[in-house]
Amino acid sequence: MAIKTILCIEDDRFIGEMYVRSLKKAGYEVDWVVDGNDGLIAARNKSYDVMLLDVMLPERRGTEILEALRGGKKDLIPNTKVVILTNFDQNDESRLAMQHNAQAYLIKAEITPKKLLSLIKQLDSDDA
Amino acid sequence: MAVDKPPQLVKDYWRLYRRRSLFFVVAMQIIATLVIVIALMLTGIVDPTTMIFWIIITAIAATAVGINILVFSVLSEPLQMLSHALAHAAGESTTTTPPNPNIRRFEKSGFKPLLQTIYELGGHQPDQAAVATVEKSLPFESILNTTPTGIVFLKEGTVIYANKSAPVHLDSDGGLQLDIITDVDQSIPDWIAECEEHAVNATKTWRRVANKLVGEDERRIYDMTASYQKGSEVDVVLALVERTDEYLPEDNDLDFISFAAHELRGPITVIRGYLDTLGDELADRFADDEQELFNRLVVSANRLSGYVNNILNAAKYDRRHLTVHLHEESVADIYDAIKDDMQLRAVAQNRLLAVSFPADLPAVAADKAAIGEVLGNLIDNAIKYSNDGGSVTVSAQVAQNDVEISVSDQGIGMPGNVVSNLFHKFYRSHRSRETVAGTGIGLYICKAMVESHGGTISVKSVEGQGSTFSFTLPIYATVAEKLKAGDNTTEGLIQHHDGWIKNHGSMRG
Repeated sequence: MAIKTILCIEDDRFIGEMYVRSLKKAGYEVDWVVDGNDGLIAARNKSYDVMLLDVMLPERRGTEILEALRGGKKDLIPNTKVVILTNFDQNDESRLAMQHNAQAYLIKAEITPKKLLSLIKQLDSDDA
Repeated sequence: MAVDKPPQLVKDYWRLYRRRSLFFVVAMQIIATLVIVIALMLTGIVDPTTMIFWIIITAIAATAVGINILVFSVLSEPLQMLSHALAHAAGESTTTTPPNPNIRRFEKSGFKPLLQTIYELGGHQPDQAAVATVEKSLPFESILNTTPTGIVFLKEGTVIYANKSAPVHLDSDGGLQLDIITDVDQSIPDWIAECEEHAVNATKTWRRVANKLVGEDERRIYDMTASYQKGSEVDVVLALVERTDEYLPEDNDLDFISFAAHELRGPITVIRGYLDTLGDELADRFADDEQELFNRLVVSANRLSGYVNNILNAAKYDRRHLTVHLHEESVADIYDAIKDDMQLRAVAQNRLLAVSFPADLPAVAADKAAIGEVLGNLIDNAIKYSNDGGSVTVSAQVAQNDVEISVSDQGIGMPGNVVSNLFHKFYRSHRSRETVAGTGIGLYICKAMVESHGGTISVKSVEGQGSTFSFTLPIYATVAEKLKAGDNTTEGLIQHHDGWIKNHGSMRG
């Protein structure tokens, strides 16, 4: 199944806009929310192909969102690929926990929109 | 008689000389007395049959012997002192106290310089010698506990004594363990092993070694000197002078900067992101030198990002929060990830960057992001420290079980005294302080990252001709089994180093 819909949970307006602009230009359908609560609700309401998840978020942190969606017995987003984007390196423990429930863990400062697009394409082809 | 034998040790000479001299003095006195007695008897001045005659003769003889012995003692004292001093200077074990040149009568008589010369020639300070000779009579442990300098004795690698100021702790077996982190320097066990193989005696100084990691309580930083003496009662003596007040501010600065550097990543994300996007979108519209100027923006933003990463990585390494996850990687692939950035940097600064790897180079065990940063730092340095129009060469070759990657420039080079300090944290050569901007942590983190892979980093440099930085990475096939057993961390791969990197983003960038 080709990746089409993307949920971007990112509170930094400049960064969010930048990713959304490039993703939309590349033809993806993108929903963008800026706080953790809205992010969790959005993820529960609709099944996205990819979720771009920031860690340091208002209301609810990215770690908590991921825990709520995938920490229980049942994976609530079985068809979604999760890409964690952060500028704060987590300590080993919480990072490994997140990596366990995600397809990628990336430092935002190293990920330009172009690289993000090629990563999403790669996720797509891994799946095919 | 023993007197006739030549003395074998310096300390024996005085004893033999004294015995021989006293024997001579007494014998001469007896002979002189006998001559006088015979002369008196022959001339008939006194009557030898009276008791009083013999009493007087005996009294005179005894008094003369006493006076002569006293005179001998006084006159020969300098010789006695010189013998004792020489014995100590020669390093002989002796029960005598080495003469103190500072005694007033020695000063008055002008004898002091003689003693001092002997001590200087022998390289033994009288105070040290005095300590060595009276060790049984002084309460050493309580005395050593009064100094703020940490003193540690090691025997066959085990701590057998540590004074109060020394950074040690008791392990579960009741043994003393030294709490010293040597970071990028040679570790103490490695140094001892090297000494055992090559040296009779040796000393080494470590600067800026700490008992604990950055951020831990009661962290102290020392300058440490170790002395090794083969076959001695204690192989190694460590002296640790605490310099926390001097060194801690820089560590705290880095700590704070790393905290702040996280904040810098937000704007950097946007700058790099849009530069990357706009570079493509505007490419057709650039006129004149606009493309070149735009490239400078890109280069500067990438550099800024690299420096921030260095700061964050150094701060993480100091806390041992940095791990590498090793995978099978080709050197060419590692370079490909930073290739565009590096080429752009070289072109923007008018350097020729020539990169070539042999096609049959075996795969290495590496954390791609970490080695990308090492390579990026070395190439960036080579560009910085070379001349306009100069070339930077990157190459690789097999060296036993490793692949050796080298970055060479034909730039300004460095003198030898600079090279030895190059990989220390915050180190900047005098000249680079004046001419090139930098933080002094780039090479520190490079060394830490390479060693966390089980590799080594080195530099060859000729002043005025350029430098070559080389580092090794294990060939994947040689460590594959160990890596699989250890979940791709370097646990088990590096056993000699006490502080390797523990964490590193395995999927960054």
